[in-house]
Amino acid sequence: MLFTRPTADRSVAGSVLDRSPSASHGAVVSAEHFLDRMVWDVEHGRFERALSGLSRLDRPGPLRFFTTEEEPTLRAFCDTVLAQDCEPRVPVVEMVDTKLAEGKLDGYQYADMPDDRDTWRLVLRGLDHTATQGCRTDFAGATESQRDAIVSEFAHGRLVGGAWDELNVTRAWSVVMRAALSEFYSHPWAWNEIGFGGPAYPRGFMRLGGPGADGAAVREPFEKPGATDEDPVRVVDTWQQ
Amino acid sequence: MGTFWRGILKGSIGPRDNDSRFLLDVHSRDLPGEATMARYRDNDEVDLVIVGAGAGGSVLAQRLARHGWRVVIIEAGPFWHPDEDWVSDEAGSHPLYWTQKRIIGGADPIELGKNNSGRGVGGSMVHYAGYTPRFHPSDLSTYTDDGVGADWPIDYEDLRPHYEQVEAELPVAGQDWPWGYPHRYPFSPHPVSGAADKLREGALRCGIEMRVGPVGIVNGTFGNRPHCIYRGYCLQGCKVNAKASPYVTHLPDALAHGVEVRANCMALQVEIEQDSGRARGVVYATESDGAHRLQRAQYVAIAGYSIETPRLLLASSSPRFPHGLGNNADQVGRYVMVQGATQTAGRWPHELRMYKAPPPEISSEQFYETDPDRGFTRGFSVQTVSPLPIGWAEHVLADGHWGRALREYMRDYNHWATIGVLNELLAHPDNRITLADETDEYGQPVARMDYTLSDNDKANMAYSTKVITDILHAADAQDVLTIQRFAHLIGGARMGSSPEHSVVDANHRVWAVPNLFLADGSVCPTQGAANPALTIMALASRLAQRMASGAAMVDDVAARIGRTRSVAGSRR
Repeated sequence: MLFTRPTADRSVAGSVLDRSPSASHGAVVSAEHFLDRMVWDVEHGRFERALSGLSRLDRPGPLRFFTTEEEPTLRAFCDTVLAQDCEPRVPVVEMVDTKLAEGKLDGYQYADMPDDRDTWRLVLRGLDHTATQGCRTDFAGATESQRDAIVSEFAHGRLVGGAWDELNVTRAWSVVMRAALSEFYSHPWAWNEIGFGGPAYPRGFMRLGGPGADGAAVREPFEKPGATDEDPVRVVDTWQQ
Repeated sequence: MGTFWRGILKGSIGPRDNDSRFLLDVHSRDLPGEATMARYRDNDEVDLVIVGAGAGGSVLAQRLARHGWRVVIIEAGPFWHPDEDWVSDEAGSHPLYWTQKRIIGGADPIELGKNNSGRGVGGSMVHYAGYTPRFHPSDLSTYTDDGVGADWPIDYEDLRPHYEQVEAELPVAGQDWPWGYPHRYPFSPHPVSGAADKLREGALRCGIEMRVGPVGIVNGTFGNRPHCIYRGYCLQGCKVNAKASPYVTHLPDALAHGVEVRANCMALQVEIEQDSGRARGVVYATESDGAHRLQRAQYVAIAGYSIETPRLLLASSSPRFPHGLGNNADQVGRYVMVQGATQTAGRWPHELRMYKAPPPEISSEQFYETDPDRGFTRGFSVQTVSPLPIGWAEHVLADGHWGRALREYMRDYNHWATIGVLNELLAHPDNRITLADETDEYGQPVARMDYTLSDNDKANMAYSTKVITDILHAADAQDVLTIQRFAHLIGGARMGSSPEHSVVDANHRVWAVPNLFLADGSVCPTQGAANPALTIMALASRLAQRMASGAAMVDDVAARIGRTRSVAGSRR
């Protein structure tokens, strides 16, 4: 089965991610377009001009840390674990590349693991190794369901052979996912998808929803209800049946 | 001031001998006084050089500067300019954390970095959540009472006046506190958010009492510090100046009284006069040119917290101290502790938007003390928390979701509320900081932290996870997601009554070096189930009082041993 995005439009004000790319839009929605809808504080608050979120909307690339040989595997892996299957994508590949190229690591390294930068390279080699063994193609060339199966084994720490033998596979999963998720959910398009309002400064929140007549789900005037309130646990259960 | 009057007067009477709240600028978040700060030369022998401008070092500096001491603080990280440097953004807050490499090992390695380690002027309190509970009196005598951990060489009464003073300086907001040593807070509790209210309802149905606070967040105005705006970014640095950190509570007053904060300077070694065994000062490297300098001082205090303090002591080896300072009995780095911090989230049909209001809202210490019926020693506290998107994604990942399922769970973010625990994990000698083979850019060996949970720790964590899960079910949560994690650091150079079993004496003075003190959380022999920030500040406040009076420098054996609890002297 092909990867699709999570069920249709459930954002605050229509998800940027869920719009079909068209010739007139190009691949990347412009920063200006995003700003006037979303980050009130960034645009109007004089204090947060330096918000690094702005640079996240710049046109990304080219890769500095990963090699051209590694790039297809990396892109296929990030697409698979984040279920991004068409443009416009949150440029997670470029964001992870920047983090590693600039050495902005997280401040700890497991004693039985190499440096995070080496872990990434080994994971990519390991994915290709497993794909070659099981599907007679590299990871990027595997079908969606094959990639899905390999990543599932990775998530359970069950991959062996090749580069995997140089890693603690469970910890390697945590290292690469930590980076991929922090980049993806630092991007304003992802905030839009999950209904997170972004930086609330200097504005703040007045309506906290505590005990009172307005109820727990009281909203600020600028907050909009989500497009759906389906329980994701039920939805995911149906997929897995 | 007695408890009664504190309850009546609340914040109307401010703290004495600390003008920080009036020195802050209403229109700028910068630390006032940076431009006019005292500057000492390296070969000036100042009265005190402190390593680390965090919770411990800043309070010590502010207090002693008020007594006329000439103080220099050496700080590895930057001197913040919050209006430009801090952002309301998780990923953009990366520079606030200690992200230089550390090695983590043992059976249960502890994640560091953003989780528990700060860097820069203000220390980790710049990005702590804001909870400021006190330790309970029982935390200071766990060995006598329960046969675990260690007894402290000081009593709760030694700390209590300093708790009260620091609570007035932060100031702490919260309901009257019934647990431990019952007390009141100078500021009234913050309003409860919709998410926290759900959790409180659930707790009440389980027979668990939760109270609002205690948090070091201004509720009202406090000098030139404004009311909290409830934007939810406490863990990314408070740009409002509502949340307390030494950057706003002690350093403004310290700078006004002649303290120099030398930022971007990494301490490498405490230099020892080989004949007398006294510390001459601190050797540090400046980030700009990498040059090594020695700041001379009459007294040296290290306040680098549970990893950097042992690292600096171990790295300061010399012919007189071949195994590192204070390490003659192989005690440095041992008994380092973290707290279990499992979080469980529940899903409701309403959009609760848990990030509105401070992440620390309400808490309970009902399970803090030992209860033999639970099957383990010591206890835990229950606290609400509110992860932002990246933190929430880690939560969903920990439940085993990735790809499409993860995106589907994530898009439902606004419907979830999170409750967590803090387990008191017991001190163990093999949980320790050592030096790794790898070195950093200055050639200094990086720290390695090994951690392994004991059976008591695991039983405590399992029991507490069930308690918070029950709370969510009682609150009619439709679904529950759990993540097992750890928080905080403490210990690593503990205080005690004998040089064989501790690094410092009852006055925080390193047993073998007459003018070297430790002024941070590394001295705590136990940690309770309370967030450590307030206790670290209170300990530094007490130490400052004793250094100013000279009591901390007395060589009398009884004074160094402090209070002993058991007749046989069997305590360790």
